[in-house]
Amino acid sequence: MKHLVPEFETWKKRYPAGFESSLVIPCCRRIQEDRGYVSDEDIADLTEYLGVPRIQIEEVLAFYTQFRRKPIGTWHVQLCHNVSCSMRGAEGLLAHLQGKLGVQPGQTTTDGRFTLSTVECLASCGTAPMLMVNDTYHENLNEAKVDALLAALSAEYQT
Amino acid sequence: MIEFFIDGVPCTAETGQTVIQAALSAGVRIPSFCWHPNLSVPGNCRICMVEVEAEGGAWFDIACNMPVTKGMRVLTDSGKVRELRKDTMQFITLNHPVDCGICNKSGECLLQDHHYAYNGQPSLSRDSKTHATKFYPLSDRIMLDNERCIMCSRCVRFTDEVSKSRALGVINRGDHSLIRPNEEVDFNDDPYSDNIIDICPVGALLSRQLLDHARVWYLKATPSVCPGCERGCSINIWHRKSEWKLNALDPQLNTSIDRVTPLENPAVNGPWTCNKARDLSRIFERPRALQSKVKSAPADLAAAINAATALIDASSRAVALVSSWGSNEELAAFHSTLGGSFTSFVKADHVPVPGERIEDDVLIKADKNPNRFAALAMFSALPDDAASAFPADTDLVLVWGEGAPWSAIPSSARVILLTSYDQPENVRADVLIPISVQTERNGHYTNFQGTITAFEQCFPKHAPIADAASLFEVLYSSTSRVAGTK
Amino acid sequence: MSNRITTGGQKLFMTFDITPTSHSLAEYKARGGYSALRKALTEMKPEQVTKEVLASGLLGHGGAAFLAGRKWGVVKLNDGQPHYLCMNADEGEPGTFKDRWFLENTPHLLLESMLIGSYALQGRHSFIYIRGEFDLAYRRMADALEEAYAAGLFGENILGTDFACDLVMYRGAGSYVCGEASAMLTSLEGKKGYPRNRPPRLTVAGLYQKPTVVNNVETLANVPYIVTHGAEGFRKVGTAESPGTQVISVSGHINTPGVYELEYGYPFADFLANECGGMLNGSELKCVVPGGISTKVLTKDDIMPLRMDHHSFVAAGSQLGSQGMIVVAEGTCMVRLLQVMLRFYHHESCGQCTPCREGMGWLERISNRLVAGQGRPEDIDRLYQISRANDGTTICGLGDAAGYATVGILDKYRNEFDYFIEHKKSMFGGRLEVAGIGDNARLVDAAVA
Repeated sequence: MKHLVPEFETWKKRYPAGFESSLVIPCCRRIQEDRGYVSDEDIADLTEYLGVPRIQIEEVLAFYTQFRRKPIGTWHVQLCHNVSCSMRGAEGLLAHLQGKLGVQPGQTTTDGRFTLSTVECLASCGTAPMLMVNDTYHENLNEAKVDALLAALSAEYQT
Repeated sequence: MIEFFIDGVPCTAETGQTVIQAALSAGVRIPSFCWHPNLSVPGNCRICMVEVEAEGGAWFDIACNMPVTKGMRVLTDSGKVRELRKDTMQFITLNHPVDCGICNKSGECLLQDHHYAYNGQPSLSRDSKTHATKFYPLSDRIMLDNERCIMCSRCVRFTDEVSKSRALGVINRGDHSLIRPNEEVDFNDDPYSDNIIDICPVGALLSRQLLDHARVWYLKATPSVCPGCERGCSINIWHRKSEWKLNALDPQLNTSIDRVTPLENPAVNGPWTCNKARDLSRIFERPRALQSKVKSAPADLAAAINAATALIDASSRAVALVSSWGSNEELAAFHSTLGGSFTSFVKADHVPVPGERIEDDVLIKADKNPNRFAALAMFSALPDDAASAFPADTDLVLVWGEGAPWSAIPSSARVILLTSYDQPENVRADVLIPISVQTERNGHYTNFQGTITAFEQCFPKHAPIADAASLFEVLYSSTSRVAGTK
Repeated sequence: MSNRITTGGQKLFMTFDITPTSHSLAEYKARGGYSALRKALTEMKPEQVTKEVLASGLLGHGGAAFLAGRKWGVVKLNDGQPHYLCMNADEGEPGTFKDRWFLENTPHLLLESMLIGSYALQGRHSFIYIRGEFDLAYRRMADALEEAYAAGLFGENILGTDFACDLVMYRGAGSYVCGEASAMLTSLEGKKGYPRNRPPRLTVAGLYQKPTVVNNVETLANVPYIVTHGAEGFRKVGTAESPGTQVISVSGHINTPGVYELEYGYPFADFLANECGGMLNGSELKCVVPGGISTKVLTKDDIMPLRMDHHSFVAAGSQLGSQGMIVVAEGTCMVRLLQVMLRFYHHESCGQCTPCREGMGWLERISNRLVAGQGRPEDIDRLYQISRANDGTTICGLGDAAGYATVGILDKYRNEFDYFIEHKKSMFGGRLEVAGIGDNARLVDAAVA
């Protein structure tokens, strides 16, 4: 994580003095953006850099759903299955995705391309059903659009 | 002072006190799991909810976070409060495994106590309980059972606020939450770790070395003082009740230390103690010196006393190394009897062992002896250069206790050794008289702040061994110096 | 051609066409942006700004509808302590997506409101907490912040005055409970999003135990208008007890789900017909979850006569809540709907306090068993009891919310639960998708204009 420190130092400037603890979450996000997950080494480095108890970082990584301690597939397909999305076809789409990808929620395809997850409300109920791939929302979906999306993502993935 | 009412009875609270604190001072027990008088207030268990009468309608909130206001009318046992407690107990026991039959906490478990007091009903759930890790090694010393854990967070707050090891935390969330040590298991290095065993309100945190060792109701607690350092924490030494003695097994088991817990003493250690106190059996139950010896040959106690008396009579330059583990009574006895015949120095019977924490700002003091304070009031300290304590013509050295600088004692001097433990250096003694340990008698220590605390006898003496205080009297009265013939 | 909706009364926010550049600093300024800030900094004292916000009657738009100015007024100016203004953009209440509209389309309006608010509260540092999943919203807000810094609108000597302010754009990482104000602050401290007991109130001891005001995105978005037009000008919009407008997100079995701005007092029947485009594919209205799933469901008969303001919805036994309305058509299984809601609450419980930590799992397990056809009559009693035992007994409102969702649906649709228990199946085939959705596993694209 050490190569990210200059970036972290610029962030510090906007915070009041004594707010080092606050940097745990943004730093973990940046580390994960860079590595794909937060490694044990990152935790040790971040503990030292911020001067917070190590357990605080371990707790944060376990509490928030977006943080990962292990790598996952290239494309994290996160399908909302909350109320409005379920009312507009999410459950059917989930079945469709499971069939298409051959995995259950929580699993990664054997070629490492796709990890499938079900997630709670992403505040996109007006364009339901929808899903998020990594950081990008894909809205107003149906099976055809999902198929097209998977195809486009597969093509992008370089073997 | 603020005047208010609990259950219709007028009470007073200090400014800044919460209802639960004021109630405790007033002798009203409001139940709690997560609240502890010496830790911060998390307000998560919700069992301490009380009713507050008000004109706009009664309101309900947790007593542990409720500031006392003037004229407040608190009800701790109204119908609604009982209902709220029943609900809370239903939730707390919802997924709690009924392990009582095999759980070490049974008999001293807050959950058992509150369940019977405030609920007493079977679970209303028809769904199976959630499961979690059992037998998780929280550290080398402590076992964690996550199913029994009710997430009160006392253990985590203890490591944040008291021991400051910051070694414990809660990972995940919801009912998947788990107490865990940090992944470096810094908790192994926390010398106060075992306090969480005491404060855990359920059987989630248990001593690994004492696992399934004994049911608590077979044991009795004898108040004592930890000799591990000059803090002198008040402790309870637990051992088998005489009416529950084990007939068929090794009788030693009936007179051994089953466990050690802190005894609350606001002036000295509060409700805490360090792990060294927990491990006192490692000190007291080392192989004992039980046989008097004269020139390494077994002798009875009377013969050994005679031999010692003769050595004292014959000496012209005698030096005594006084035990810093001697009780106030023993030290006084030595001072008023043999002390006149010896040039006396107080030694440190114990020094820190490698890896032992020297000192901190919690409890642990650098001096690993319980009574140097009292001893130094009567005698000088042994100089760092121990050899300088012995004039060239020293012909007799009385060694009382352990830790003597044997290599500094002139080889020409005779040695009278009064000791409790069977150690290799004992062979140097011309006369060896075994003496009792702290748990075999009553006495007092004076800690580094001058506070005097009593310890009480737990066990009878194993064998015909002497108590140091009376031994000094006997030796003194036997020598010709007393008779004034020298 | 304008992409704006014209029904629903006067607009305070949806007054411009959304284009690929309409969120920029230049275009915001062209619309009059940052003139309210100039007025506040150069013509008003901090306490005057607070007075105006209080007099405006602005109610919070985060769900609690608390008088915003009163919260500001509690902070003691010149007490020598740092004061923090924090914008709560952790929009997570299912059915709600209206704050997202502001974050993505009017980032500078929000930044201006933060500056005015920080000025009023003597806050040197301020924070916007955006839920972690809002990547586009975060980037828009972060880019806008850099534009604003570059234009001297943040930092020292703002607009040539001695007012200084720095803002941190903070991103969450996936936790609904961080939308609760105290949990949000604990998260902002870099920790787990654990809500806090009160006392102390956050305005006394909030972020790092310093006086802190937490406001919803939309609540703060109203501040520039109030400064420009005064409390009186603001009160000309809406109703006497609900002044101003609400930006409402609506979804479910309707033809045109989306985000709409309505003057308070707008009739629900008009809203359903106009903005919502009527029921999807000719289906019939069954019920409405009015303000996020944590509000009690209203049947068609309950809601059709109502005007959309706080007073009317409270009188009907529910509330406008987080302004996330979900419209449900006949043929939807309410038992399954509750099941989805209870799974959500269980997933999001932080785990601190007993009634919620244990109760949410218990509620979900019972609802799962009901849906699996293994329900018993006593399960209904249990659902009510768990809900009651979470009402007012928890550290935060998550437990209460699950209770409201449960009791709301049970009170109105008890018959569906009784049917499920007796017949071991749903009255409606377990359907959540109605009106043609899912029949052929295809959505009609035309349904979403």
